[in-house]
Amino acid sequence: MKKCMMFLGSLTAAVLCSPSTALAAEGAKAASTPIPLWLCIPFAGLLFCIAVLPLIKPEWWESHQPLAVAFWSCLFILPFGFFYGPGRAVETVLECLINDYLTFIVLLFGLFCVSGNITMEGDLAGSPRVNIILLTIGTLLSSWIGTTGASMLLIRPVIKMNAWRRNRSHIMVFFIFLVSNIGGCLTPIGDPPLLMGFSRGVPFFWSLHLFPIMLFNMVLILFIFYRVDMKRYRRDMARGRKPDISRPGTKIRIRGLHNLIFIAMIVAAVILSGMLPDMPLFKTPEGHVRGIHIFGEVALGFPALIEIVIILAAAYLSFKTTSPEIRKKNHFTWGAIKEVGILFIGIFITMQPALAILKGMGSQLGITEPFQMFWVTGVLSSFLDNTPTYLVFLTTAGAIGFTEGLVTSLGQVPVKVLTAISCGAVFMGANTYIGNAPNFMVKSIADENGIHMPSFFGYMGWSLAVLVPVFLLDTVLFFR
Amino acid sequence: MSNEEKNLHELAGRIYDLDEEVYRELGSSLGRVFNGKKEDCIEETFRMMHERNQAYILRNELALISNMARTIQDRAARHRIMVKYDEILKEVTELPTSFIKGDILDQKMAKLNMLNLQSRFSKNDHLIICIGRTYGCGGSEIGFTLADTLKINYYDVEIFDEVLKRLEAEKDYVHDKGGYPYKEGEDHQSRYLSTVPAFAPAPKSTIKEKLREFSRYHGLPKKDAIFFNQSDLICDMAKKEDFVVMGRCADAILTNNRIPHISIFITAPLEQRVRRIMEVRGYENEKEAKRLLTKLDKDHVKYYKFYTGRNWGKARNYDLCINSASYGIQGSVDLIMRMLKKDGDGKEGSEENGKK
Repeated sequence: MKKCMMFLGSLTAAVLCSPSTALAAEGAKAASTPIPLWLCIPFAGLLFCIAVLPLIKPEWWESHQPLAVAFWSCLFILPFGFFYGPGRAVETVLECLINDYLTFIVLLFGLFCVSGNITMEGDLAGSPRVNIILLTIGTLLSSWIGTTGASMLLIRPVIKMNAWRRNRSHIMVFFIFLVSNIGGCLTPIGDPPLLMGFSRGVPFFWSLHLFPIMLFNMVLILFIFYRVDMKRYRRDMARGRKPDISRPGTKIRIRGLHNLIFIAMIVAAVILSGMLPDMPLFKTPEGHVRGIHIFGEVALGFPALIEIVIILAAAYLSFKTTSPEIRKKNHFTWGAIKEVGILFIGIFITMQPALAILKGMGSQLGITEPFQMFWVTGVLSSFLDNTPTYLVFLTTAGAIGFTEGLVTSLGQVPVKVLTAISCGAVFMGANTYIGNAPNFMVKSIADENGIHMPSFFGYMGWSLAVLVPVFLLDTVLFFR
Repeated sequence: MSNEEKNLHELAGRIYDLDEEVYRELGSSLGRVFNGKKEDCIEETFRMMHERNQAYILRNELALISNMARTIQDRAARHRIMVKYDEILKEVTELPTSFIKGDILDQKMAKLNMLNLQSRFSKNDHLIICIGRTYGCGGSEIGFTLADTLKINYYDVEIFDEVLKRLEAEKDYVHDKGGYPYKEGEDHQSRYLSTVPAFAPAPKSTIKEKLREFSRYHGLPKKDAIFFNQSDLICDMAKKEDFVVMGRCADAILTNNRIPHISIFITAPLEQRVRRIMEVRGYENEKEAKRLLTKLDKDHVKYYKFYTGRNWGKARNYDLCINSASYGIQGSVDLIMRMLKKDGDGKEGSEENGKK
């Protein structure tokens, strides 16, 4: 409780002690509109609730999450509406819900549904060696089916294989580090920030240049994992736990494999959403993306609509063509997606002031060096959505006026700087549960399936102990 | 067992049953809170309730069961289970913070120790003597003679052979790391004193062989798969017969599975052991013999620590520790026999069990 109070106190102090206002840059129109920093308090409050309430009032939190989300969202929307007018408040909320949250949650929903229809049966026993193999496969797969896809696909087999063990929450933590985050850095399919870079002129396969960095991080983190897992595996054995290996030989059976087609469909939809906006067919003569007008300047673009339709169709077909027995075997419930869906509505709405301030201040921060880009993009991506954070710093780098480097639609960006921004946004999403969507999904699914996941601060303790030293090494080796 | 303890056991049983019911309703083994054997899980839950510093773990376990229960689709079943959960939670919350008084007696250990179990050691339990020993102290001969005197079975390498059969593994590819050297093909007791190194590294295998092994041993390292199978086998045997078992972490395995047994550790000063292996095994070089013994001791400490988390040879882990140099082989056997016979009930129990 004392820790919680300190956390809240330091957050409040940070907000109140900073300059009282900052410039927002929500387009040219709002360039000079000041957004007070105190409008970030609802975001901090919501994070505080996510971090603390599951610890002190778990049952209340479980049944009152929508209430907490509504409370903090209103605490942002009402003052914002009061100062900037109801029209702008509605527009801001709709903008983030329609253009950011909707595609985000539909993608998560689609992958959650489809992967829940694939089940693995077998008697492979979870041991450090097997876990290393699974984490390596997951990390390498993340770039090709997305961090969310790989996480959803592999989380249940990992839980199943380690069901005989008592100490297993650390496996989920490292799963989040590697499969849900770091593994996604090699292609724009891997993580949304890279898709945003791709749509701004970064070549599709450019991210493959990050392979040595990813490999370095993966090897180092897997080494740490092996040491931790071995220690806990031995502890389990010492307590007399043992897997059922009474039958000689291992038989593995995967059911619902045809759902891989639907995963491919979803991946294709994501790639399309990055490519279509640049096609003339989807552009107005003024250069805007065509779409359905919703309110004010808010419109649902046709490329996003196509992505949503394809993903929902994939989820529907997956359910139609898969036996309910498989979902039962997977202990498939809507709990995890419901929790993520509710919490992230609040996170998306309340983080708008922080993002707007960041957009306005990005160029004034005086960040030019790769290591600065890596850490600032990373630390902010740990708490804010990493896609706009990536975009802010890519824009900042493009506007600095570098004379050499990769040519993007935002200007020339040196390879080292782009590498730092990409790695910061992708890798450091692993720092907190809310840094990247699959993090929270993995946590929810694990919680629902008999694993005591660390609390918000407990998880941050893991990332501070494991990830931060690795990132410091990255800085020395790759971003100096 | 006091009334309070009986109540706790009953409550632990109900918690297990609740988890089982939730699992049955959900129809998925994914996410089950209690994965082990029923009696083990109940015992573990009982201990959590009994020990003040473990109570928070139990509350976490209950929270996980309720998380699972809330995902049950059938409304009536969910309601029925949640009512049971609420009742159990209320009882757990009302538990006194501790039942522990100031006694040094470790309830868990004492319960497994036959010498303390005049009233608890039922007629259905078998006499099992686990002997750990350092190499060269005559431990194998003591164990063998003891089994012979008690007219019960003696197991050492036989367990390992049986495990290989279970795993359908070829002997050439697997080395016995659970016990001490042996030589096949000799009928008398000296066969346990061969020149085959106990902890010899396994021969190098090709990738194809490695893949085959991966499948054969369920993805586990070979030595772990063998250990798990040895554990199962020892527990199965303990339900059927009386025996003396040498090494193989049998004492820790039986403790974890709450099977009554007596654990004995036998050793002797290094100099005596060196002298003995030079005589028995014809070693001419004392330095070499000393090096072999030191290495085997180190390997054994490592092996035992790896699988049991305990320190091999530490007196606190055993019921009885013997310096065989002080008694000799027959003297050590007599000492153990006297220990077994000293207590009237113990004697009767041992002999009765021995005749089963």
